[in-house]
Amino acid sequence: MTLTLRGVGYRYAGATRPSLLDVDLDLPDGRVVGVTGASESGKTTLCLVASGLAPRTIGGQIRGRISLNGADLDAWPMHQLSQRIGIGFQNPATQMSQVAGTVFEEVAFGPMNLALPRDEVIERTWAALEALGIDGLAERDPQRLSGGQQQLVAIAGLLALRPDHLVLDEPTAQLDPAGTRLVGDAIARLAASGVSILVVEQKADLLAEVASEVVVLAGGRVALRGPSDEVLADPRLEELGVAAPSAVRIRRAAASAGVGGDRLEAALRG
Amino acid sequence: MAGDHALTEAAPAGRDIPSSIGRPGPSAFHRLNPLTKATLATVTAVAAVVIGGLIGPVVLVGVAVIAPAMAAGVLTRLVRLALLLALPIALSAFLVNLFFFPGGQRVLFSIGPIVATAEGLGFALEILARIMAISGAITLFYLTTRPADLVVDLERRGVSPRVAFVANASVQTVPAMVERASQITAAQRARGLDTEGSLWRRVRGVVPIVGPVILGSIAEVEERTMALEARGFTRPGRRTLLWAPPDNRRQSTARWALLLGLVALVVARVAGFAP
Amino acid sequence: MAELVVERLVHVYSEGGVRALDGVDLRVGRGERVALIGQNGSGKTTLVRHLNGLLRPTEGRVTVDGSDASALTVAQLASRVGLVFQDPDRQIFAGSVRAEVEFGPRNLGRSGSAVTADVAAALTVTGLHGEERTNPYDLGGSRRKLLALASVLAMRTPVLVLDEPTTGQDARGVELVRSVVEAVAAEGRTVIAISHDMRFVAETFERVIVMRAGRIILDGAPSDVFARDAWADLRSTYLEPPLAARVGDRLGLGSTPTDASVVAGLSA
Repeated sequence: MTLTLRGVGYRYAGATRPSLLDVDLDLPDGRVVGVTGASESGKTTLCLVASGLAPRTIGGQIRGRISLNGADLDAWPMHQLSQRIGIGFQNPATQMSQVAGTVFEEVAFGPMNLALPRDEVIERTWAALEALGIDGLAERDPQRLSGGQQQLVAIAGLLALRPDHLVLDEPTAQLDPAGTRLVGDAIARLAASGVSILVVEQKADLLAEVASEVVVLAGGRVALRGPSDEVLADPRLEELGVAAPSAVRIRRAAASAGVGGDRLEAALRG
Repeated sequence: MAGDHALTEAAPAGRDIPSSIGRPGPSAFHRLNPLTKATLATVTAVAAVVIGGLIGPVVLVGVAVIAPAMAAGVLTRLVRLALLLALPIALSAFLVNLFFFPGGQRVLFSIGPIVATAEGLGFALEILARIMAISGAITLFYLTTRPADLVVDLERRGVSPRVAFVANASVQTVPAMVERASQITAAQRARGLDTEGSLWRRVRGVVPIVGPVILGSIAEVEERTMALEARGFTRPGRRTLLWAPPDNRRQSTARWALLLGLVALVVARVAGFAP
Repeated sequence: MAELVVERLVHVYSEGGVRALDGVDLRVGRGERVALIGQNGSGKTTLVRHLNGLLRPTEGRVTVDGSDASALTVAQLASRVGLVFQDPDRQIFAGSVRAEVEFGPRNLGRSGSAVTADVAAALTVTGLHGEERTNPYDLGGSRRKLLALASVLAMRTPVLVLDEPTTGQDARGVELVRSVVEAVAAEGRTVIAISHDMRFVAETFERVIVMRAGRIILDGAPSDVFARDAWADLRSTYLEPPLAARVGDRLGLGSTPTDASVVAGLSA
């Protein structure tokens, strides 16, 4: 089931200018699409719109069409939409419900809300915990975990709803290197198992690892798109306010000094 | 659907919730259903007001507070906490009655013009016993019941999941705000805000601390709301519960018996033929 | 004379009895650019909070510009050590950018044209020039972080401490932070930054201090701290040297913590 955005624009309630303009995007099954751009380029807005939270929950005006396999998203109330598109946010702590004494109950929160049969709630919860590799944390208190662990719990909580697509808005922005590694590896693993993900990240190195395709936003519009190694090596990235991956920067610096070559390439690939 | 196989392959059938969820309490009393314990506490508290004489409240304290507390193993903590809870009101009620009981004749001792009477002492002890019964009943419930268990039990009996959520989550709000306020205070002090000086200086410090606490809490509520919606929170109707405190016929009978007993006591008192 | 001296510093939090600092000795000179790295819980935040008196030593001593910090109040130390916290939303309270930036200097007792000039300079260097009347919450999160930085810069303290200044920043924001660090150091002021962006650390600071479990385990220039010999220590605390260091090592170029050093090594 492909998530399709055509000519999508969005303006927050009370804002004078739109935050998104004329965006086309496809998120097919089993793909990881990376989205990046400078601050205020529309990345978070894109996530809110793609997941249905905007305009449903936060108001505002939307233009264009968002559909899932041809059917408009409008058709679904939020609690049904959340079973098709899951959205994760930057701040790990605010995604914890605060009413779950254990990680297990936290991840089960979604399926419980959907009034699924108890056995199914339990099965889905274990499956989601294992998909993220955190079944060992099942009995821990979610409020006492590290930021990275909380992000994994949040993503597991989304997976338990069995969505077709995951939309992750800068999941590692507030994490330390250990947390970033944890989440990055989990995303890679999910992607490898066929989960479809739209991931927004400033960290180009991370996108290079997990995304097959990258879209760059600027001023609310799509400025660049294409296969990830092409886009991330594009010289225009810098003027669009995005830092290229470390390997690209080293290669570029070497090239402008007239050095480099195969040895460097081999070392970069490591 | 792509990704499904990742979620189903790894999961063998027939597993259960982790054992720490709904872990039974350390004693049989702890393990009673929260509604049962709440009924006991309420009936005891009301009976403590209604029942006559000095013997009544004392027996009540012994039977409905001390005995269960011993069985539950919380006696020491209960005594400490119940005394703390009742202390101000108990002390003032005791002293007022000891010295100023209307109609007191037999003098025990006096301090200056203030006289302590035997009748006053009798009444003061009675009041004290009643207050201790109420305080003890409440404390016993508090010490043997987890708030989350009570909320789950109510939800199982029909309270809306959204109301239950608010009840559970509210407990977290105050510590979270206190934590936020202390971080904000640190940041403002680092910019020279004087929190150790004169009163006037400290008053000026209110806005730079309260402002971000409120603004930040509001912003956080927005984020939390979105995260909840993303997990089906707004779906109307009941939801599946993983676990609820067990209940049985014996306990529900006992609850009814307690309530009827209380009604009988009240009727007897009003009609004049109970002590 | 050293700007900051920390001697045998131990800090045990009364809540929970955690020994967050286990005997730290440190001397930082005037005008040094120092990065403080280590995983969460290593003691970095605890250490810097001793520099402006928010925390007091359990044992040991902290000396700021020749005076014992324990003899000074936080408000007094704020004129010598400016600390920018990680979360701007746990600080910003004013209705305008200008009022927010004026808060610090006013608390230090300054007024008039000196404050105006300091505020203007701070806003310019953080890219907020022209936003004086904007409500801080109309700025995006990353610009609010720069606002928090500006509000402490305007205090013109001899020592500036930054807690995770580049977290959540885009490329332009990171560049701005870097230019702020360089401008401040060029004035002879000391900069200490806690960061987990290894690239930013290697390219901006002349001294890197690595902490683990309440102690300093490495202290030196980036070329020392990111050299191969130190990788085991770094990895023991879940830190990874920048890619440039690893690439330079594979190419046999010695220690190359920055892109420029790799290029220099290849050109040699």
